[in-house]
This record gives sequence, C-alpha cells and structure tokens, in this order.
Amino acid sequence: MSLLHATWLPAIRTPTSSGRPALLLWADTWRVATPTGPKDTPASHPFTLNQEDLRKWLIAKDLLPQETVTATACLTLPSKEIRLDSRSAQTVKDNNNSTEYAWTGLPLQAGEPTPKHCEWWPWQVEGLAIEPGEATNWLSKLPLSEQNQDLGNELLWWSHLQRWALSLIARGRWLPQVELSKGEGYPHRARWLPLLNREDDRRRLEEFASKLPLIATCALPWREPIGSKANRSLRMRPEAMRAANPVASCRPRSGLLRVATLLADLVDAQLRKNFNPTTQKLDPLLTAWQEGLSSQTGLITLPNNDVERLAKASNHWREGVAGNVAAAKACLELFIPEKDEEHWNLGFKLQAEADPTLQIPASSVWAAGTKTLQLGEIRVDKPAEILLEGMGRALAIFQPLERGLEGATPELMQLTPNEAFVLIRTAAAQLRNIGIGVILPPSLSGGLASRLGLSIKAELSDTSIGFALGESLTWSWELMIGGITLSLKELKLLTGKQSPLVQYNGEWLELRPNDLKNAERFCSSNSTISLDDALRLTATEGNTFMKLPVHNFEAGPRLQNVLQQYHKLKVPDPLPAPPGFIGQLRPYQEKGLGWLAFLHRFDQGACLADDMGLGKTIQLLAFLQYLKAEQELKRPVLLIAPTSVLTNWKREALTFTPELNVYEHYGPKRSSTISDLKKNIKEANLVLTSYGLIQRDLEILNNIDWQGIVIDEAQAIKNSYAKQSQATRQLAKSWKHKRFKIALTGTPIENRVSEIWALMNFLNPNVLGEEDFFRQRYRLPIEQYGDNASFKDLKSRVNPFILRRLKTDKTIISDLPEKIELSEWVGLSKEQQSLYKKTVEESLDAIATKSSSQQQGQVLALLTRLKQICNHPALALKEKTLTNEFIKRSAKLERLNEILEEIIESGDRALLFTQFTEWGHLLKSYLQNKWKTEVPFLHGSTKKQERQAMIDRFQEDPRGPHLFLLSLKAGGVGLNLTRASHVFHIDRWWNPAVENQATDRAYRIGQTKRVMVHKFITSGSVEEKIDKMIRDKARLAEDIIGSGENWLTSLGVDQLRELVTLEEN
Amino acid sequence: MRNTPLTNSSITTALSEQGLNAQPWWVEQWMELINSYRFKKRLERAWSYAKEGNVISITFEGRRVHARVQGTEEEPYKVKIWLDVLNDEDWGYVFEALTQKAKWSAQLLAGIMPADIERAFAASGKRLFPFTLQEVRSECSCPDKANPCKHISAIYYLFGDRFSEDPFVLFQLRGRNRTQLLSDLADQRQKLIVSLTKEQMKNKAMIQKSSMPDETPIPIHPAFTKPSLWWSYDSVLSSDLVVITPSLEEDTGLNTAGELPLAEDPRFSKARQNFMNHLHEQGQKFSQQAMLQAMATDE
Repeated sequence: MSLLHATWLPAIRTPTSSGRPALLLWADTWRVATPTGPKDTPASHPFTLNQEDLRKWLIAKDLLPQETVTATACLTLPSKEIRLDSRSAQTVKDNNNSTEYAWTGLPLQAGEPTPKHCEWWPWQVEGLAIEPGEATNWLSKLPLSEQNQDLGNELLWWSHLQRWALSLIARGRWLPQVELSKGEGYPHRARWLPLLNREDDRRRLEEFASKLPLIATCALPWREPIGSKANRSLRMRPEAMRAANPVASCRPRSGLLRVATLLADLVDAQLRKNFNPTTQKLDPLLTAWQEGLSSQTGLITLPNNDVERLAKASNHWREGVAGNVAAAKACLELFIPEKDEEHWNLGFKLQAEADPTLQIPASSVWAAGTKTLQLGEIRVDKPAEILLEGMGRALAIFQPLERGLEGATPELMQLTPNEAFVLIRTAAAQLRNIGIGVILPPSLSGGLASRLGLSIKAELSDTSIGFALGESLTWSWELMIGGITLSLKELKLLTGKQSPLVQYNGEWLELRPNDLKNAERFCSSNSTISLDDALRLTATEGNTFMKLPVHNFEAGPRLQNVLQQYHKLKVPDPLPAPPGFIGQLRPYQEKGLGWLAFLHRFDQGACLADDMGLGKTIQLLAFLQYLKAEQELKRPVLLIAPTSVLTNWKREALTFTPELNVYEHYGPKRSSTISDLKKNIKEANLVLTSYGLIQRDLEILNNIDWQGIVIDEAQAIKNSYAKQSQATRQLAKSWKHKRFKIALTGTPIENRVSEIWALMNFLNPNVLGEEDFFRQRYRLPIEQYGDNASFKDLKSRVNPFILRRLKTDKTIISDLPEKIELSEWVGLSKEQQSLYKKTVEESLDAIATKSSSQQQGQVLALLTRLKQICNHPALALKEKTLTNEFIKRSAKLERLNEILEEIIESGDRALLFTQFTEWGHLLKSYLQNKWKTEVPFLHGSTKKQERQAMIDRFQEDPRGPHLFLLSLKAGGVGLNLTRASHVFHIDRWWNPAVENQATDRAYRIGQTKRVMVHKFITSGSVEEKIDKMIRDKARLAEDIIGSGENWLTSLGVDQLRELVTLEEN
Repeated sequence: MRNTPLTNSSITTALSEQGLNAQPWWVEQWMELINSYRFKKRLERAWSYAKEGNVISITFEGRRVHARVQGTEEEPYKVKIWLDVLNDEDWGYVFEALTQKAKWSAQLLAGIMPADIERAFAASGKRLFPFTLQEVRSECSCPDKANPCKHISAIYYLFGDRFSEDPFVLFQLRGRNRTQLLSDLADQRQKLIVSLTKEQMKNKAMIQKSSMPDETPIPIHPAFTKPSLWWSYDSVLSSDLVVITPSLEEDTGLNTAGELPLAEDPRFSKARQNFMNHLHEQGQKFSQQAMLQAMATDE
C-alpha cells in the first residue's frame, strides 16, 4: 500500500526565477530495495512511486490536484545504515585516489520501527508539485479529522494549517505588503501577509510549530544546472550537479518562523488568486502594487526608489498592528496592592510564546544586554529589543505606561486604582491582541473562576435506596467568586460600594453589573438538584447550573461512592463465578461480572465492549447464572445475535452454564404463534434468536414478558433507521415488567459517534436525548470538524455505561496467557446443509457397494468434499469465480468476515491457513474485493523469490497487508511471521501438531503481542468430530493418526457413517 | 475665507480631504514650518504647482533628497534638498541621551516617532527638526535666483506627506538611516548596561546572571532522539477552527491598521482612497470566499 506525503518546497529566488514555493506530493510504497547512498548528489529514494505511477494512484484515489508539474526535491529523512558486503560495496575516490567506503543505507518509512541508530541523510525524491494557489484548494478538500489510510499523518497537519489560513482570511487578518529584493538582480515582490498579532493566533502558531511533522518541511529543492535541457543527467558534469545539489541536510528546527512562512505562503496564494485589481485610476505606485498583488509571480515593476518607498510605507503601516514572530514577547504583570497601599504595581517581563509560564523579569533582560537569553529550553535572541519594542507598541494602547518608561532600564511601575481597572477591564485584552502578554492576579484574571458562581454540597437523600436519574438530592450551596465564598447579603454590600474593583477578605474581586442580578434570580428560584445534574456537573470541568458556573462540587460519602462507580473512577467490585458456573473466571472477568451486576442493581443498561477474545460471552453467561443462583432469574432473557454466532452461543452455554435452559428461536421449525412460543419457552432461561428474525417475528417476540434483552455484536444496530435497529429498540421497551438491557460488542463503540446514539437509545434512552438533538449537539460538530470539546462531553456522558478492556491493558495482560485458543463454532447455510446431506447419502451408498481397496479412495474423497462444503459450496462445486451473495452461501465465511472486520479495524494482522489451495484462491479474491487491498496467498506453487517478497513485505512494510493467506502445507513450516497476532485455521486438519506448527509462524520468538488462535468448527459436521478426536488425548498419539488421513480409510462403513453424518442440533 | 493655501487651515483641509485627518505630529510641525514662511505669493504658486502634478519625482538618496519638477522649460528642473548632517560626536551625545529613557528606544523600535524626541537631540545642542526653513538647504536648476524658488517650495509641500510614510526619513537626512539608528542605539544601550552592571545592578542581577551562560548551545531538536516525529501528527482540529466565521468586532487588519501612510501623488488625487476602499471591498469578498470554502470542506 502506498502512502501519500506532502512536503513544502520553499521559494528559491534566483535572478532567473521569481521563486514561487510549491507543494510537492509524493508517495512511498514498500518494496525490496538495495541499500544505497549519496554519490555526487543525494541518492534516489528507493521507495517512492515514480511520477507516472503516482499520477495513476492519485487518480484512482480521487486525489489528483487539477494542475501538477513533475518535480524533484531533496528531502532529509531519518535513515538506517545498512552496509553492503565488501565486494559490492559502493566506493568513493577522494583526491588522493585512495578508496573509502561510502555510507549506504535506506530511508525510514512512516510507521517503520525506529532502529537503534538513526542517521539523517538527504534523498532525492520525485513527485508532483502543485503551485500554491492550487495547493490551497487541494488542501481544503482533505479530511479534517478522520484518518484516511492513504494519507500520511502530515496531511492532517496540512489540512489543519489550511483551515487556519481560511480562518485568518475570513477574519480579515491580513495586510498587503511589499517585499524588497534580497539583492542585485532579484525581483521585488508584492505579498499578502497574515497578521498573527492576536493572542489566540500566536498561541496557535506555537501549537502548529510544536506539532509540525518535519516531513512537511524537510525539503531543499532540486536544482537543475542552468542551461542544460535534454538528457540532463548524461550531459551534466558531476561537479555541476554537486554544486547545484550538495549532499546537504535540512536541520530539524523548531519551526516558529518556518510555520509562519508556510502559513504566509498559503494565505498569500489564496488572496493573490482571488484579488481583482480595481479598474479605477490609481497612481503608478499603487497600480504597480495591485498588479503585483494579483499576479502569480508577484513581481513589481517600478524603479527601485519607488519600490523602496512602497516597502517602507507598507511596513510602517503593518508595524502599527503587528509585532514580529519571535520566541518571546513583552509582558506586563499586575500585582494587587500591598496592605494599606493604594497603588498597584505593574512589573515588566519577557514571556515565552511557547509556554506562557516561562517568564523572566526585566532586570535580567537588561542584564543580558545583547546576549541570548535562555528561558527554560527556549532561546531568545535580542531580548532587550523584544521587550522595548513591545513596550513601544503597548504605549500606544495604555498611556499610563509612559510614566514607567522614563528610566533607562525600567522594571516596575505604579498604577492608580483607576488605571489598574482600565488595564483589567479593557486594555489587557487589547494588549493581548497586539501580542503583549498581560498577567493579572488570579481573582481578577477574567477566567471562569473570576465570575460569580456556585459552590455546591450534595448527598443522596436519607430515604434513597437505589437510584433513578431524576431523583432529588439533599444539597446546600454558596455563592463563590474568585475562589471566595460569600452570601447574597455580602454580595449586595460589596455591590453597594459602586466600585468595579472591591476588596473582600483580603482578595480583590471584580464585580460585574449582572452579577447581583444573577445571584438574586438564583436565590429566589428555590431550585432542586437531581442525581442527573450531579452526574453532569462532576463529569467535566466548567459546567453551569442555572446559568451560574459551578466552581466547586462536594459530594457526600454515599453520593461520592455512586459517582465514582459511575464515572468508573473506581474499579467495580469483582464478583466470583456464581455456583453452577462450570469453569473459571479470570480476574478481569470477575470485575466485568461485578460491573454488570452493579448497573443491573441500579436499573441501568450496560454495554460490555471488551476486546475480542477477552470472553464477553462467558461474562454474560456468568451474569445470567448469577441471576439464576440468586433466584432472580424469573422470566426468560432474549438474546439477539447475528445468525453466524448463534451456534457458538449454544455451545458455550452448554459448556459453561449447563443449568441454564437455552431455547433456540430460529430456523424454519421455530414457533410461529405466540402461544406456541410461550409454551416452548416455559422452562427456558435464555432464548436465542437472530437480528433477521426479530423483524419478522416482532409481534410474537414482543408478546413475551422478557426479563431482559441482550444484543450481541451490538454494532448491528448502529444504523438507527434500519428495521432491525427499530425492532430491537421496540423490544427494549418495558412491557409488563421492566426489561434489563445489555449490549455486547468488540468494537470501540465509544469512539463512534454515528453509532453511539442507537446503542444508548437501546440501553438508556434518556442519556443522549432525541436523535435530532444528538445530531446537532454532538454528531455534526464531532464528525465534521473534529470538535474535541463536544467529543469529551459525549464520552463523559456515555462512559458510565460502557466497559471496554483491551488485550493490551496492563492489568489484563497479566491475566491472559500468551496464546489464546478460541473455538469458533459455526453452522451451515441452507445451501451447505442440503449439499452436505446429499453428498453423504450418495457417497455412503456408493462406498458400501465398492471393494475395500476402492473404498479407501472414495472415503478420502468424501471427507475432503465434506470439509470443502463446510468451507463454502463454491469450493465443493469447483466454481472458479465469485458468485453474487458469495458470503451468504457459507456460514463459516460470514463469521470469518465478522472477525476479520474487527481485526482490521484495530490495526492487527492475521494469518489464515487452509488446506485447500482452490479455497485460498477464492478467498483471496473475495477478501481483496471486500477490503480493496492486496491479500497475499502463499501456496505450493508460489515461486521461491515471490515467497520471500511476500514474507518480507508482511513483516517489514509499515503499511503492509493485514491479512496473509497460506496453504497449510506450504506455509506451515519454517516461516517467521511474528507481525501477525491472529492465526486462523479455517478448516481442520487431523493432526494437531500440524496446526500447532502453523500457529507457531506467529507464536514464536520475536512475537511481542498476545497471539489469538481461531479454530473454525462447523457444528454437527465432520469438523466437530475431527475436533473431538483431536481433543481426545487417547487418540492423539502420532502413531495412530500419523500425519495424514490414511488411517481413516480403515474405518468400517458404520464408523464412517457416524463420522460424516450431519448431526442436527 | 479664501480658498488659497495661504492659511494653515486651508492646506490641512485640502490634505485631510484626501484622508490624512490624523496627522502625525511631525508632519504637522513641518506644515507649520512652511506656513510660517514670509513670501506668501510664492508659496501660493508652489502649492498649485504641487497640486497640478508638476513634481515628477521625489527620491531620498542617502542624506539628500533629489526631485524633478516640471517647470516652463522642456527639461524638468532638478532639485536637491538636504539638512545639516550631525557628525558622529553629535550623534554620540544623541544616543547617550536616547538610551537614558527606555520610552524613546521603545517607540523608535516600534516605528513610532517620539513626540519629545528633540529633548534627546538637545543633548548634542542640535535639532532633529529644522527650526526654520532657512535650515533646510536646497538647490534648484531653474534660472530663478530666489531660494526657495517655487519648485523647491512645491517639494516642501509634498514633504509632509512623505514624512508620514516613514518617520525615520528625518533621521536619514541627519545622517543615520533606520538600520544604523537602531544598531547604534543597541550598542549604546549595551555600553550603558555594562556601566550600570558595574555600579547599581551588581547586586540585583547577581543571581540571575550566574544562571545565565553566555552562549548556550542550541538544544537538540527532539526529532533527533525520536525520529518518529518526522511523521507523527494526531491532534484534533482546535475547536475554534471548527466553524470559520468573519470577525465580529470589525477588527480586521485593514481596520486596525488604518490609513495607508503613503503620500498621495497630487496628480491622482483619489488614488489612495480608491485603493483602500477597493481593498476593503475585496476583503469582504475574501472573507465570504473563505467561509464558503470552509463549508465545502465540511460536506
């Protein structure tokens, strides 16, 4: 898979070129490459797509910009040294004609593990360049949040930067400027410059600079020597190439200036494109300027004197608004008056842009003189000039400063109370907007804390037993401002002083005209607070209650306990496996069981979203058994699951909770009337059905007084409009009694905004409200703009009801073995069933009539065919191409498909073993089709070279394939495929040793993750019998089974019949 | 009231119509200087000269102003104007005085002409601003013997505006351009600090000084120890870039920056105003286009 990158090519101004910057698009892809190194010029990057392929690839991905030109640049990239062996080693001759070894290696690719020793080398990269105007268009179309697999991470950075450029343009934060030539022969240019003086924009610049993925700016352009045209590479003398493209690297620098330049280029390109010069008559200077502002090159053609005049005027114009980009800024700090003093002190400082907490007083700045100052890790050049220049601009806004700047090296000045108030109320904001830092005393700093708000104490009411979200709490409150509590009376008294800044208990507070009104309104409202409010107020910071900010929320011990469990600050108390549960629960499963019981006690729906393989099924079964053991399971529980896993449920229930009466409501023979069903499930504890059937049988099912509804693979109801989702929600509603609700899913449901509403509406409909509200409040802001605040809020709301543990969680890892074997029980599709039965009947009859020598061959053929049917009818029928609804024809494939979806989504990799090469080919085309990505298939006739390439790619390529198909015989031994953490045995082999060997391709030295082994077993079929035999230790011995199937042929016809006959249920 | 340039008010009115309503103080001072001139008749002719666009060019070259004025002859007259340059010693006094008050350095660095700048020049016994027109030296290639002739006077009229383009022009005429001025000022400040450090600041800055190495090496970029920084970026879009909106408080760059300080060419009397109006209009268009583009991304 290729990955697209975008690197900015800076403008190079030469006498012959106007020096326009450009965005270079290039892509790398994994391939086997010989280590190489620079000679006269940097070496060609061995992994890049050539321009032709890149163009095709961009077209295929619908990413091709409108106008592109081919381009080459020299990129500095982290690289690893790989020495060639001495015979083929690259050598260089120095002046003395002696020979030295030259550096050879390969550039690293995104996502590749970092080698111990990393070096930085320039690489020659080819790609397609787009001019800035088109680049901004193209960048605007990139996604702002979702990760596109084809795009390098830096493209997200680029799209965010372009978003900022758009914001600056929309806010009119720009001025046209004239940029003087850098020297003789270089052109003068007209430019649009963004203004970054406002505090938010300056902070943003810091953020963009600190998060800059260096690949976005690591280029030196590739220069072709002047005058050479055709056959350049042949004609060029090495000295000329070396001179034009030295083997030089770009240093990674923290890029305030660099990012500011990029942003300026983006803004300039867009305004230049959109600017139409006025048709009114202007004087020659302005005419030339506006021409330069609208032309692509920006050239201004005027006599030098005139351009200099324009440049000075435009520069002087800009100076009034914006400072320069520097590592630090001038800063004023206001101190509250000393006791009994009237005057406020104002200190002068320098403040780091990157980290406002890094400050240095003016005295040190003066002492540093012309030297560089160090502010933490930040270097500040010419600190005194930065401080003075800032003060000069501050003076234009806050005149009292003039008094403070009378001396040569001022450090501090005094303000009258009035001046201090002006500073706090208006000047501080204005100063911040022109890039001057202002630090105010905390109680006056204008943040939420300095607003009048509430301090609340609350506890569950004495009579409260369980709880409902709407229940009222006992509570008390106080008014609070600037960290100080006061009564309404005191507030009135202070307001009476008619002074905006008042002193109370030694603290200075700023009172606003509306404060008293708000407080009075609140005090007279006699409001109550509910548990729901408490949950909301404690979920995130900065919440308001009746429009007043809540500065402090103190919960009593009983409420605290509930809140903690709710917000999962506290691990739920574990519950041991209930009596009647056969088997053991791992510690985290006991906690899961405890959590299900906790929410059940409080009548809340729960979503258990543990990673695949952590045993959600077991936890749910244990929970039902727990209810049963507690005599609480009085009515049947309905479990809805995809058809493909119903078999598995039945098997697991049989194994772990034999006391539970399980009834299956599916298949053509299922109950078709209410009374029928009622009769049939009289004794049942657990009723299994499928999503497909609840739509069809909704009326019947909804007439049963279920105790609870459980949905497995809950992502099935993600589309809230789908019929099965509506039917599920219908069933979730209470009927005669309340129904408890539990959802199981292995997907990170809490991260999927589009799916979470339907799930929560099933579990606890009140939490997220109506769908329209949800869409406006959460879904649009988060999905379209990646709004983090809304996302956090959403997460905090649903967090109490979702429990998700990952295999990689530290606490889980210690509970898990390194290799987890899972039996995936599946059924047969209708087509499979009839084909299976037909095959068995016909073959057995035929075999019975044959001589024993003939029988042997026929038996083997029969077994093979049955196993093929279990895989897919197409395999048994020798179909070569995929048919319509290919997946529906095989229950096994359906289940495989579901598991693979989870694996690929979580970024894991899997090996898939089959003993049938034809099946491998079919599956390969199916999987490639489904995931639109390459799936390698290694089998007996794969050439040696190809094999190695497949293996290397799977192991090394950062974006290599996630799935790897192997035939059991060809791929089962010798290979090292530790990048996979899942192994699938799609069909069974008689000998467990062969399966284990195959499993060991992934489960071996070098494996750092848990390995999950999925073994598919078709219930009731020959596969189940094989599984039983494998498990049956007595018959495992190598000498009986050998490594093949030959022993089978000695079975008698009766034994054979037993082996192959399809057992139903 | 006669509509002539003879009174102070009529001149400034004429100019303010062109948009320079808030004159910087030094421009006003210059206009006062001209209007204090005795030969009103000549000034009147010079004003119409200037207004009618007879001044072809004014360029500041080093310490001199060169101009070309179209007179009665075919070939334009060449005009030279200069001030007495301060010698290095005088400048030395000026810099010494300038560094005594942080305000002066602060304003000069911020591109602002301090209103009380003459106090600093007083230290050298010299002035920045000419006190009378007699201090302004000039030459004209016209046959008129009188100085200032109407060509020179015409330039005087246009000068005021040109001063507002760049407050440092006056310094340049006195012998220091902006770059020289700021770097000399920095040197002087350094001297002052050295002397201050020796005396008063010794105790105060002792502690900080010891923790301040002279030349700290450039810290290693984190990417050197963590090469994955070459590629990684996983931030979410900052919430205030989520919705792209125009500025609410009319605080666009154009609004805050105000009038473009470019002297008007009298031959194109409405040019600057037209240009500015046009920029404002285009700015609103840009803003709308940006919002549309931002919304297109969202779909």
